[in-house]
Amino acid sequence: MSKGLQDIARELLEKGEVQVVVGWGAVKADPDRTRPILVTDPDEVGELVWNPRCVNNLAVYLTKAKSDVQALGKAAIVAKGCDVKAITGLIQEMQFSRDDLVIIGVACKGVVSDGSLWQGELTEENRDLKCRFCDVRTPRTYDHLVGEEVPPVDAEDDWKDVRELEEKTPRERWDYWQEQFERCIRCYACRQACPFCYCTRCIADKTLPRWIESGQHPRANLAWNIIRAMHLAGRCVECGECERVCPVGIPLNLLNRELAKEVAVEYGYRAGYDSEAPPPFATYREEDDQSFIR
Amino acid sequence: MEHRTLAGDGLPALIDELIKKGMRVIAPTQRNGDLAFGQVSSSAEAVLDYFLCKRSAKEIVFPRTEAILGFDRSGGEVKVEPPSMQFPETVVVGARPCDAASLPILDHIFTWDCDDELFTRRREATTVIGLTCTTADNFCFCTSVGLSPDNTAGSDILLTQLEDGQFFVEVVTDKGEKLAAELGELFREGGDESARQKAGEKARALVTRSVDVSKAKGWLDDHFDDEMWESWMTCLGCGACTFVCPTCHCFDIVDEVQGLSGHRCKNWDACTFWHFTVHASGHNPRDVQYKRYRQRILHKFRYYKDRFGVTLCTGCGRCSRHCPVGIDIAEVLETAAGSAAS
Repeated sequence: MSKGLQDIARELLEKGEVQVVVGWGAVKADPDRTRPILVTDPDEVGELVWNPRCVNNLAVYLTKAKSDVQALGKAAIVAKGCDVKAITGLIQEMQFSRDDLVIIGVACKGVVSDGSLWQGELTEENRDLKCRFCDVRTPRTYDHLVGEEVPPVDAEDDWKDVRELEEKTPRERWDYWQEQFERCIRCYACRQACPFCYCTRCIADKTLPRWIESGQHPRANLAWNIIRAMHLAGRCVECGECERVCPVGIPLNLLNRELAKEVAVEYGYRAGYDSEAPPPFATYREEDDQSFIR
Repeated sequence: MEHRTLAGDGLPALIDELIKKGMRVIAPTQRNGDLAFGQVSSSAEAVLDYFLCKRSAKEIVFPRTEAILGFDRSGGEVKVEPPSMQFPETVVVGARPCDAASLPILDHIFTWDCDDELFTRRREATTVIGLTCTTADNFCFCTSVGLSPDNTAGSDILLTQLEDGQFFVEVVTDKGEKLAAELGELFREGGDESARQKAGEKARALVTRSVDVSKAKGWLDDHFDDEMWESWMTCLGCGACTFVCPTCHCFDIVDEVQGLSGHRCKNWDACTFWHFTVHASGHNPRDVQYKRYRQRILHKFRYYKDRFGVTLCTGCGRCSRHCPVGIDIAEVLETAAGSAAS
């Protein structure tokens, strides 16, 4: 599988169609792990790999927050269907246009983020939550496809994780999130790994005035995590990177999915499927319900 | 110093005895599904059959956030309140040698040109009982920075579990001696030194990664500008590596105000954040991410070593394990050492 990918990457670089291929390569000390790599030399395409441990959503390198990567030139990006959802959202938000990049899509049967569950192969048990009802196992848009097309999983998102949370009382939910956020170390790995956190100056980094305290105490941690979640409502494609990278294991994707469910129910909208769709929170229509404004 | 053996049922008895004596005991403990150093109220809460906590032990002496003073101007005049310098007598039980060793490394910076009293007073009030490792992974490289899985650095007492299950006790410092004296019968005189040697060898063999850190430093000394750094531009610019690190110690001083009163706080900060070096003019000398990551490496393996004679790293491997984009600090050093050779 990696060979096909490498051939495509080599050709793109050799023909000068792109100057850099953003893909995954093995971590030397732990070959079961992969990491993002930037390949600019056709002779180095051998480092590119594609396997169920290619968990990073590389779309993050396409945003203005990573301008030094863009300075390398036009990019080809290796992307799973779920990563393409992020790319679609970024095009929708006019961060770049489809012509600005080459998408090397990979047909995907699922990925395994939790290294402790990895026994050398993908199974029903070890694959990520998002893979269990994936409808984009073949990316919805690509310029080149690695592997044979894979049909969507024959199961719809049941929101089981979110419903379990909703069954708690407001007090229990409050306590639950307070406990989770208590250990937030404010490293902002969630933000930095997120393709949609591309603000050049995040509200958390503003100091005049300081909207969110930088101290790692419950008040500030709550403010940070809630504000981030709200900023992602209707935009988050539930790739789960925030939760994967959190060094203290806060279930951030659960929070995002709670909001995604609200948006799905109230607006009939799921992010990341249509770059032409009007984004629910960035569209004004005169006939919008305004009765709640008093 | 003298050697002893832990009596009774070992670690649980030790923890319960310390608590009984009115000490604040901190040990690895499960909190909402996350293993972290925290105060325990009985031995049942401590998890000592463990690898490493995700967060290091540094926050015991260098909390994530703390008030350095309080202020209140609700009465018209500004009233300033100094922070409390009363810290309860604390015993850390079960710190791995890479966590324990971070404390004397941090002493250098926090006592350099003036005493950071919040740090030094906490440090004085804290006694560390280290625990020799029984597991390691590919990201561990303590033996490359002059430490080892059974090293006593930073521990006041080091415990090593022997093949027969008993714990061999090494009293390392005067502070450790004082605690040992208070614990009396829990520490039985005498210990099987050859079994301790054997356990130490076994522990050291767990760490298979080996990096020539002094060779790497030689290269770092004169390669501030090198394309090697640019190869790490995949760094996302989060602070995960620095915040889980036992030796990263940067902090920011900020006022946290609510209405007319508030606190001046010392909050953790990270050189990997883009705004860490932004000047008031807007100019940023570390304008792109790889330069920020370079700072982290140079501070640890060059500047700190030059200034204080010690490396600002205990080889715990947390930064590599938790890096969202798989940047492995030992590999960065291997690359530097390899370049030095060629």
